[in-house]
Amino acid sequence: MISNNDDQFKEKNIALLRNAFRECYFKHSKIIEVPERMEEHEFGYMQFGSGMIRHLAFRNIGELLARLIKDIPSDVYCSNAYYRFPTYDMQEKQWMGADLIFDIDAKDLHLPCELLHTYFICTNCGEVQETKTEICMYCKTGKLNHVSIPCNKCNHALKKEVKRLADLLIYDLGIKEKAIQIYFSGNNGYHIHISDNEFHRLNSQARSDIIGYLIGNDMTTESIGVRKAEVSSDGFLIKFPKGGMMYGWRSRIAQKLGVDQSSITKLRNIVQQKGGYGGFKAELLKMTKDMGVKIDPQVTMDVHRVFRMAGTINSKSGLTKMRCNNEIESFDPLNDACLLSDKEVNVEMKVPIKVKLKGQSFNLRKETARLPVYAAAYLICKGLARVN
Amino acid sequence: MSIKLGTGDLAKYPFLNEASEYIRETHFDFEEFNRLEMKHIINRAAERMETELINGMIYQKLDKYEVEILTFLVTLMMAKSIGIEIILKKHSLFEAMRAERFLSEDLKKEKSEQKKRLLLSKIFEELFKVTVDIDSADNRLFKVRVTDYLIRASNFHEQEWKLINRLVNKGYVYLDAEETVRLIRSELSTLIYSKVKSMTLSTLPETIKAKADELRVKLVPNYEHRIHKVTDYYPPCIKHALEIMNQGENLPHSARLMLATYMLAIGKSIDEIVVLFHNAPDYNERITRYQVEHLAGLKGSRTKYSVPSCEKLRNENLCFATEECNGITNPIQFGRNLQKNL
Repeated sequence: MISNNDDQFKEKNIALLRNAFRECYFKHSKIIEVPERMEEHEFGYMQFGSGMIRHLAFRNIGELLARLIKDIPSDVYCSNAYYRFPTYDMQEKQWMGADLIFDIDAKDLHLPCELLHTYFICTNCGEVQETKTEICMYCKTGKLNHVSIPCNKCNHALKKEVKRLADLLIYDLGIKEKAIQIYFSGNNGYHIHISDNEFHRLNSQARSDIIGYLIGNDMTTESIGVRKAEVSSDGFLIKFPKGGMMYGWRSRIAQKLGVDQSSITKLRNIVQQKGGYGGFKAELLKMTKDMGVKIDPQVTMDVHRVFRMAGTINSKSGLTKMRCNNEIESFDPLNDACLLSDKEVNVEMKVPIKVKLKGQSFNLRKETARLPVYAAAYLICKGLARVN
Repeated sequence: MSIKLGTGDLAKYPFLNEASEYIRETHFDFEEFNRLEMKHIINRAAERMETELINGMIYQKLDKYEVEILTFLVTLMMAKSIGIEIILKKHSLFEAMRAERFLSEDLKKEKSEQKKRLLLSKIFEELFKVTVDIDSADNRLFKVRVTDYLIRASNFHEQEWKLINRLVNKGYVYLDAEETVRLIRSELSTLIYSKVKSMTLSTLPETIKAKADELRVKLVPNYEHRIHKVTDYYPPCIKHALEIMNQGENLPHSARLMLATYMLAIGKSIDEIVVLFHNAPDYNERITRYQVEHLAGLKGSRTKYSVPSCEKLRNENLCFATEECNGITNPIQFGRNLQKNL
C-alpha cells in the first residue's frame, strides 16, 4: 500500500520494489505455476503507480516470464475462466468454463487479535496511526486505510478454516483430496483452487449455491424435520425428511442437537425451549452460520475474475503466493513465502514495529533502520516504512 | 438376462427414440391420418391440447401404445401447424410434466431394480447425459452427482432446492423419485420443443390441418401474443430479457428478478409488470403477482428489493453491455435523463 501522495518517497519506494521483484522473478522463476490450458486463460497485471492491463494471453511460461522481467508488474493475475478468445473484450471472449476457487481471508474471521496488529494509514499524507479516527490525525484531511501485520494466531485460525473447508469439499461434495490445491495468498489469507473438470461448467448461480452450502446459509427447519403448522397447538410439528438425516448438514445439525430419526419428543422439546417455530428457526440460522466456513462469496461466484497467479509476488506484502498443500500444518508464510533478497537498504519507519520475517525478529523502535530487502519491502508494501 | 422397454413404456414416453423407431418400422405413411379410423386419434390429440392449453391441466388419459405414440405425433404436428410460439412452448412444458408424472410413479412403484435402472438409463442418461443411481441402502432414494444437481436445481427458486437443504454425501445428492424427475423437466420440455422445431412438413394431412385450424381459432383469444414494447431507453440487459420474454422463452429466475425490480424502480405499476410475464411458458398470474408484490416490499418480508448491480448481472451472464453502458454500475443508471420520458 504505497500512498499516492507520499510523492517525495514514492519513486524511491517503487524503484526498490521493482528491483527486488525483478531479482526475485529472475531467481525463482520455477515457482511460477502455469495454469492448465494456458492459452485459454486471460492474463493481466498491475503496474507500479499505474493501472491494470488486462485481456492478455500467453502461449507458454517463457513468454510470460519475459513480460514479467521486462515490465516488473506489482501484481500478476490470471483468469479462473477458460475462453475461446481470451484477448477479446469481455462480451466476445466466449466463456468455456472456470476453475472453482475459494478465498479465505483473515479479515473475514474477525479474530480478537486483529485490532492488536492493525495500523491505519492516511490516504492523503501517508502517515500511520495505531488508533482509528474519522480522519487523519496528522494532516486532518485524509481518510484512513487499514493494514494488518498478521500474527501466529491469525495464521493458525486461517489454517483451521482451510481444513474445515477441505473437509466439506472432500466428504460432502466428493472432491478428491489431490484435486484441492491450497495456496498462501501472498498476504493475509489462503486461496483454494479446485482442479476438477466436473466443476468447470458451473455458472455463477450454481456456484452461489455451493457457497450457501459451505457458509451454512438458508438451511430450512423443515430439512431437519421441524415444520411450521398453524393447525397444531404448538405452531409446529415434527416430521423427519424421507431421505433421513445421516449425511451432510442434516447430520451435523442432528448431532449438535443430539437427535436422530427416532427422537420426535426430544426434538419437539428443543423447539419448545427455543420459543417455538420462530425461535428455533433463528437458533438454526445462528448454528449453521457458526458452523459454516468463512469464505469470501464474491470470489467464488465471479466466473470472469482475474485471480492472483500462483508463484507471483503480492504487492500488498512483498510475499509470494505459494502452494502449500503438503506442508500446510508447518507452513509459515512470513518465512516460506518471503523470497526477496537479503541485501541491505536503509528505511525510514513511520511507526515502531515488531515483526519476524525469514526467522529473524526485527524490533524496529527507531525512526530509521538498515534492513534486508525482504523486510524493507514487506514494510514498504504495507505502507509502514519508506526508503530513506 | 437383459431387459427391454415394454410397449407400455413407449405409451408413457413417446418422445423416446424407440417410439420413433416404431413409427419407422411400421412404415406408417402420414396420409393414413386421412383415413376414417384415424379420426379418434386426431380428436384425442385435439382434446389433449385443449386440456393443456385452455384448462391448464396435464392430460391424464393413457391408452395402448399404438394410440399414444400416434396421438403424441399428431399433437406435435398440430403445434407446428398452429405456429404460435407460446402455444408450442406451453404444450412442450405440459407434455414434459405429463411424462414427469408417469416417470415418478414408475420409479416409485416398479419393483424390479433392473427395470428402474433401464428407465433411468433410457431417459436420464441417453437423452440428457445425467447419470442417476439407486441408493444401495434405501432403494426409494436416487443419487445424482452434485454438479448435475446444481446445474439444474440452482434455477429453482424454492428454498427446499438449495443444496444445504438436501442430503449430500461424497459428491452425490440423494433425492426421492419425484424430486429426481423434477430435475429434468426443463430439458424434457426443450426436447419436445425441438422435435416440433425440427419437423419438416411439406403437406399436412388434411384432417390434421382442419383440426389444427379449428384449435387455433379456439386458442388465439387466450394466446394472442402480447408483444411488449422494447424501447431504446431500456438498458441492453432489460431489452434482452424483454425480447426473450416476447419470444415465449423461459427466462431464468435471476433474469425475472432483474426485470421486475427494474420495472418497479422506474415506477411501473404491479399490474403492468405482471402482464410482462404473461408470455412465460410457466406463467401463473396469482404466483407472478405475489412475487412482484414481494419484490416491491408489499408482501412477505416487506423488504423492497433493489435492482441487481451490473457486476452481479455480469456474474449471472445477464449483462449485454453496449458502449452506452460505460460508467454505470447499475442498470437503473442507464440513460438517466432519457428515462424521464418513459
